[in-house]
Amino acid sequence: MATDPAPPPGDFAATGATPVFVARGLCKTYGSGDAAVHALRDLDLDILQGEFVVLLGPSGSGKSTLLNILGGLDAPTSGRAAWRDHELTGADEAALTAYRRDHVGFVFQFYNLIPSLTARENVELVAEIARDPMPAEEALALVGLSHRLDHFPGQLSGGEQQRVAVARAIVKRPDALLCDEPTGALDVETGKVVLSAIARANREVGATTVVITHNAAIAGMADRVLRMGGGRIVAIERHPRRLAPEELVW
Amino acid sequence: MSVLDRKLLRDLWALRGQVLTIALLIGAGVAVLVMSVSSFLSLRGAQQAFYAESRFAEVFAEVKRAPRTLLTRIAGIPGIAAVEGRVGGEARVDWPGAEVPVAGRVLSLPAGGEQPVLNRLRLIAGRLPEPTRHDEAVIHVAFAEAWRVRPGDEIAAILNGRRERFRIAGIAHSPEFVFTSRPGNPLPDDRGFVVLWANEEAVARAFDMQGAFGEAVLTLAPGASEAAVIAELDRLLLPWGGRGAFGRRDQPSHRFLEDELAEQRTLAVTVPLVFFGIAAFLLNVVLGRMVEAQREQVAALKALGYPSFPIAAHYAKFVAVVCVLGSALGIAAGAWMGAGMLGNYRPFFRFPEMPYLLPAWLPLLAAAASFAVALLGVLAALRRILRLPAAEGLRPARPVAFGGGALGPLGRRLHARAKIPVRGVLGRPLRTLLTVLGIALAVPMVVLGLFWWDAMDSMVELQFDRIERGDAFVALTDPRPARAVREMARLPGVLAAEGQRIVPVRLRAVQRSRLLALTGLPAGAELRVPRDADLRPVPIPGDGLAISRRLAERIGVREGDTVQVEVLEGARRVHDLPVAALVEDIIGFTVLIEIGALNRLLREDDLVSHVALRVDPLAAEGLWQRLAERPRVAATNVKAVWLRVFDEVIAGLVLTSAVTLTGFGVIIAVGVVYNSARVALQERGWEMASLRVLGFTRPEVSRILLAELALAVVVAVPLGLVLAQWIVGLILGARDNESFDVPAVISTATFATAALVVLGAALASAVVVRRRIDRLDLVAALKARD
Repeated sequence: MATDPAPPPGDFAATGATPVFVARGLCKTYGSGDAAVHALRDLDLDILQGEFVVLLGPSGSGKSTLLNILGGLDAPTSGRAAWRDHELTGADEAALTAYRRDHVGFVFQFYNLIPSLTARENVELVAEIARDPMPAEEALALVGLSHRLDHFPGQLSGGEQQRVAVARAIVKRPDALLCDEPTGALDVETGKVVLSAIARANREVGATTVVITHNAAIAGMADRVLRMGGGRIVAIERHPRRLAPEELVW
Repeated sequence: MSVLDRKLLRDLWALRGQVLTIALLIGAGVAVLVMSVSSFLSLRGAQQAFYAESRFAEVFAEVKRAPRTLLTRIAGIPGIAAVEGRVGGEARVDWPGAEVPVAGRVLSLPAGGEQPVLNRLRLIAGRLPEPTRHDEAVIHVAFAEAWRVRPGDEIAAILNGRRERFRIAGIAHSPEFVFTSRPGNPLPDDRGFVVLWANEEAVARAFDMQGAFGEAVLTLAPGASEAAVIAELDRLLLPWGGRGAFGRRDQPSHRFLEDELAEQRTLAVTVPLVFFGIAAFLLNVVLGRMVEAQREQVAALKALGYPSFPIAAHYAKFVAVVCVLGSALGIAAGAWMGAGMLGNYRPFFRFPEMPYLLPAWLPLLAAAASFAVALLGVLAALRRILRLPAAEGLRPARPVAFGGGALGPLGRRLHARAKIPVRGVLGRPLRTLLTVLGIALAVPMVVLGLFWWDAMDSMVELQFDRIERGDAFVALTDPRPARAVREMARLPGVLAAEGQRIVPVRLRAVQRSRLLALTGLPAGAELRVPRDADLRPVPIPGDGLAISRRLAERIGVREGDTVQVEVLEGARRVHDLPVAALVEDIIGFTVLIEIGALNRLLREDDLVSHVALRVDPLAAEGLWQRLAERPRVAATNVKAVWLRVFDEVIAGLVLTSAVTLTGFGVIIAVGVVYNSARVALQERGWEMASLRVLGFTRPEVSRILLAELALAVVVAVPLGLVLAQWIVGLILGARDNESFDVPAVISTATFATAALVVLGAALASAVVVRRRIDRLDLVAALKARD
């Protein structure tokens, strides 16, 4: 395991790999004057195709803001962010919606399932608006929920609901899978089940995956761990070998 | 200020759209109540004050000619408080500018230039005639205002065939003519009818009544029996040609006013009750739902250790603020509309003063009632939440157990996003039902405002296209031989003429009696065609009466029953006659008999008292003038004039109620749809934001949320149309007006307008909510629920 003291920009130029996410000089400030909160300060970042990145850091370190900007949900105050040839900064609402619809799969901390739709229907909901979706049943099989297809969220456990959310995120075969504290509301064992679902999706769908967590134990799963603090990336860890979720120690 | 109160203020501000629409809903209910009840009380108040001040008589008797000395004997009848004799008669007035001759009535004032003892005049300009002047008269205010007559002006009247000129000494109100109309007309025609009061000697001379009286008016001692007095009076007057005394109930002005008051009382109760009921129901639903949407907050307060009472008080305060706001709006609007409505009565009812009365208890009652229903709605919702274990309440409302999962064969065909609204509708059937009912109830409000036009149209069509087929109706000064009809038929411009014989009668059936006009029609009459319920012509029975179905229902008579008919003319004979047919009518009560049969009953030759005419429209004006010059013509009523008056008078009244009630319909529709959508957004904004994050566009997300409401609206509007028909029937059924029947006719155009108004209001609400959906905070969706 190698730890760099500071994040060099253009990190991958030497390796020859093409970054899919590129961020340069990202700043995000909420409020103004004395009340201004700097969520991101001049942040540079590249993420490679198929990479599994974990954003680690305490509350207020800027990791959610970064994820929101990468997901096309929020705009930086200054700097630029791009997904391949899609400029995310300065894009209008319709373009960002199309970007999320076509390329991004989201997993939220609180699952955000539609209570009046069954597991299968929640997944179909996204499949219906995707360009090249896999069958909903296949996505649910990937997260190990083939036996719960027709259950409503209210009839599923938290871990099961989160796995439905993962299936919903991967059914469109997303280019990017963005997960905001996916295990935050779950216990250890359930969390591991969800994480393996995410890891498997990353592997089998080939989605570039960014996971936010403040649980350092999860870091072992990642190709790269970005430690954040005060709106900056304060450290980068690389793992030549990713741990399987079962191997993680909480 | 406590923290909860601060929360209250912020909640009120955050929910200002809902607060405002709910306040308007309360305001509308309160306004209708305040408006109807206050205008009723004001009208009643004006009537009581004027009747008392002017000493309005309680019993009226007409007699052909009785000596003044008889008045002393009448005064001796037990139970009579005061009696006064006078002379009166029909007049025809030549008034420059009037297109048809003006009908009039001249009454005597006591000798000596004093006010009468009973039915005193209230002068609003000028004075009473000088005791010595026979050419001075007081004129009734309605005609004076319509033609801008002033004291000093002159008026020429033909009394008993003689032309007399009067100088106007004063303008006055009279309790006998609060409502004035030409005889036989149910609506006021101020320009076509005049009342004059002149000194007794002048009037007596004109009608050859010196030393005699033709009318006696009297008041009763407290506790006296009106029926007994009338019976004794009739006995005394019979030898002198008494025409049957009657109580105030049958005095035309009073009867019309009472009918209107009765109608207003019915409407003052039924319409606000219906409306208030609807508003209360909506208030209950909407507020209940709003509290439901705050269940997590309530549960959190409870979890923090707040007892139930301060939480309930907190929401009660919320309701109180909304109710105070709504009631204030409603009371202000209701008082304004009530005063306006009272103003609408001015052309109908001539009172010297008609102050607007708004007793303090009325707005208080309205406000208290709305607070009570609102509080009920909130507390019921609150109780459901407070009963939950705190932990349960803290969790997002458990999605209803959506049965089975599949929607049957439908489920396989539906898109997942279409299933969201469908499950929303089917999964909470009670809530859906309430929403549908709420929106549906907006439709009857609009219909209630608009249908009067349809009813009036249908009324006019039945009475004036189907039944009364002539263009003019001529009253003769006294019954004439039938050849008068042939003479009139020969006048230029007359296309057809039919004679009628009309006599006043008292009709008795079992315990009930009515003063009515019995009309003798020639068999096969074409200018007046009685119709049955299916509007088929009813042949005039040769051996009995054809009577109004409405009358028959009121006096409990069926076809084949026998009624007693007392003729109030001549020898006052009494006959038992069978009811041979029932006929439809709208205005007044029809009682028909074959004219020959009537002449035989009256033991007279072929006499007619009225003539119906069909007239060439091009020659009409010259004809009216020619008729006016004929000495035996007492009055000519022209259908076209009548219809114009009808339109003028009714249009104003109907327009007011149409605008008001349509406005309320919009308030209801917006109130329900907007609040339902806002609550839905409140409950599911998180869900919708999640969908946006997942890549759904704004229109897609809006469609998912609003589709549920659209489904409700689609079901609600047709339901509302059915409810409208039912509620209109209910309100008309509660009417009790003998002067008019309002048919429960609602045109397709009215239904369509009501449906469009409600759809429009729903659409507008949807647009407002749609804008909120567009502003959803996507980032918040990724965070914990609040």
